[in-house]
Amino acid sequence: MPTTLEPTEVIDPDLDDAAIVDRPWIVLVWNDPVNLMSYVTYVFQKLFGYSKEKATELMLDVHHKGRAVVASCGREEAEMHVFRLHEHSLWATMEKDGPAS
Amino acid sequence: MALRRRFVPPVQAVKGGWKVNLDVEERNLLLRLVAELEALLSGDQDHELLARLYPVAYPDDEEKEAEYQRLMREELLASRLGSIEAVKEALDPEGTELLSEGETIALMQSINTIRLVLGTMLGVTDDESADEADDADTPEHHLYDFLSWLLEWTVRSLSPD
Repeated sequence: MPTTLEPTEVIDPDLDDAAIVDRPWIVLVWNDPVNLMSYVTYVFQKLFGYSKEKATELMLDVHHKGRAVVASCGREEAEMHVFRLHEHSLWATMEKDGPAS
Repeated sequence: MALRRRFVPPVQAVKGGWKVNLDVEERNLLLRLVAELEALLSGDQDHELLARLYPVAYPDDEEKEAEYQRLMREELLASRLGSIEAVKEALDPEGTELLSEGETIALMQSINTIRLVLGTMLGVTDDESADEADDADTPEHHLYDFLSWLLEWTVRSLSPD
């Protein structure tokens, strides 16, 4: 039988839930026809520490769907990510991850 | 381009650094291009070829966007000029020394920036015009292809597996 205490014993916090509560900004990268696929994959690996598989998946999302969310975090951190993506000449924007999006 | 190019990558990771296998003419071409990029970056900030190099960060918020551009644009410029300086040193036509990872990354970023400017000049604005550019036969398009090829190998030499 569940007791009222049990719900506070969070064993494995859901990262997505945490993202909504504490991390109200998302960083988007948009498709552009100039940047090479291999280059975009490399930049994702280097800036975010993603595995080659994950970085490739995100790159393909950008390529096929037109954009991909590459990070979800606080505003300052998101701005730093956007800057570093701009430094690598990727087309990055940031926006509040509201209920609408 | 010489046939040996097919067998020797233009940039490769070797023991102790990165090796640039470009001849003097190719090095001089790259040095000329980074010098042109430097002039473009340092000149009229409203130049249409620069637009793609300073993307909008906050499309939904004019105020935050103005703030971002005010704080970051200069830093972005400084970063690009820093890369150009590193490339100038690294690509000395007589140079035989290996590049560090930082220099190789600077090379990658500068090549990519030049490709973006050239892409803007050639009207590469979507996947369709990118395909057209691949097939076009002008000196500028060949230069674009050369930079794509060089960038591809540079990225490959840096990519962790």
